[in-house]
Amino acid sequence: MRTALVTGAARGLGALAARRLAAAAWDVVAVDADAAGLAATALRSPNMHVRTCDVTDPEAVADVVAMAGPVQRVVHTAMIAPVAPALEQPLDEVERVLRTDVLGTVHVVRATLPGMLERGRSEMIFCPVAPVPGASAGAAASAAVAAYAEALWAEHGGRGVTFRCARAGAGTPPRLVLDAIDRSLARPEGELHVRAEGGPALPGGLVSRLARRSPAGTSAPR
Amino acid sequence: MHAHAIQGEQVDLPVRIRDAAVASAMFAVPAEGAQAVIAYSGLDVAEPLPGRAVCSLAFVRYADGDLGPYHEFAVAFLVRPPGSAPPSGTLGRLRTIAGGGMAGVGAFIHWLPVNQEFTLEAGRTIWGFPKELADIPMDLSGRVKRCAVRFGGRTAIEVAVRPGAPIPSGSGTPSVEAYSCLDGVTRRTPWTLTPSDVRMRPGGAKVVLGDHPVAEELRGLGLDRARALSTSTVGHLMMTFEAAEEVRG
Repeated sequence: MRTALVTGAARGLGALAARRLAAAAWDVVAVDADAAGLAATALRSPNMHVRTCDVTDPEAVADVVAMAGPVQRVVHTAMIAPVAPALEQPLDEVERVLRTDVLGTVHVVRATLPGMLERGRSEMIFCPVAPVPGASAGAAASAAVAAYAEALWAEHGGRGVTFRCARAGAGTPPRLVLDAIDRSLARPEGELHVRAEGGPALPGGLVSRLARRSPAGTSAPR
Repeated sequence: MHAHAIQGEQVDLPVRIRDAAVASAMFAVPAEGAQAVIAYSGLDVAEPLPGRAVCSLAFVRYADGDLGPYHEFAVAFLVRPPGSAPPSGTLGRLRTIAGGGMAGVGAFIHWLPVNQEFTLEAGRTIWGFPKELADIPMDLSGRVKRCAVRFGGRTAIEVAVRPGAPIPSGSGTPSVEAYSCLDGVTRRTPWTLTPSDVRMRPGGAKVVLGDHPVAEELRGLGLDRARALSTSTVGHLMMTFEAAEEVRG
């Protein structure tokens, strides 16, 4: 049985990714800091195992991966993008976003990629939050994760690990994002960036579309 | 009874499926042969055209629902509700077809392999669905939807469904009676479906049968590499299953 590690599995895209993999008879290790949300995702799913873990803690991530055993697929969705006016967002919140999204991604990669490179035939999938209006720290983190994915792809691509970065537009239903990832994985030599149907073009399209909006339209109240 | 204990969990009825995806194909098969296949249920196949019954093959990915995530394959036949007279004459038959083939017609579920233990026990216990455990690899994300049912590496059946044209989502929720027969008891289960992202086309299916008793039955009905009446895919399906009632002949 193949093992998948899904982060951010308590809700949204991560929860659906974990359930679909469990339905397809993968052994799923579902990770999130939200224990109650994780329990809901794993309800009546005997081949799903939940691990409460904060991806900002490198040791905790390493422990989860050690317990999971050899992982063939990572679906990393544990990212946050709280909405706040860019000039008013408290600095500790900006730090928290960067710590969770950027450093969290680095921790997950460092814990899983060495084994995946060693074993080959595995998939590393990043799902950074697409930039949403008024979430400047999240937008910066999202771009950083996409750039990190590109760097990993350049450094380690073509050596048995397939890298994908699915940065779907806000409002794209998770099932369409996951369908697009599945189609893209059917062609392992394909592109790093995954385009989801029903969402805006990625990754530049959404950013430029947001850039055309009025400043008032982009700063939603907290 | 409105709750069942399954593997230490309480399952309340109706059971709700919040997100599933489906591909299916309908075939016209000889009514006499189909009747012989489902005779054990005491039910009669519907004959929308004289001498022809309808066999449906479907594969389903349950992503979010009360029975957990799993894959399922279904072999079903359209049946007349027990006690109802066969539609008389051409007009009666046309009425059946005009109702989308479903009005006043039930779906008898002849075989229902699944790939997870929880839904296996729940399906057999709560509704008497003929579930058994199998490997059910499935691809529902590509243009062509594919599914296979395997037992210990041996393939029982493979189905591929080609993409159809988008169909506008209908208003309202189709309601169907699902019939099943397990251990000599025939049951009826009220079943509602709320589909969206629906595509349909005539033909469009490819069926390859392997070496399993059900595959043998389907081969006997001429299903190996047969042309489908129609195929459909549903990108997002919500369903409810009420409690089953025993049907007495």
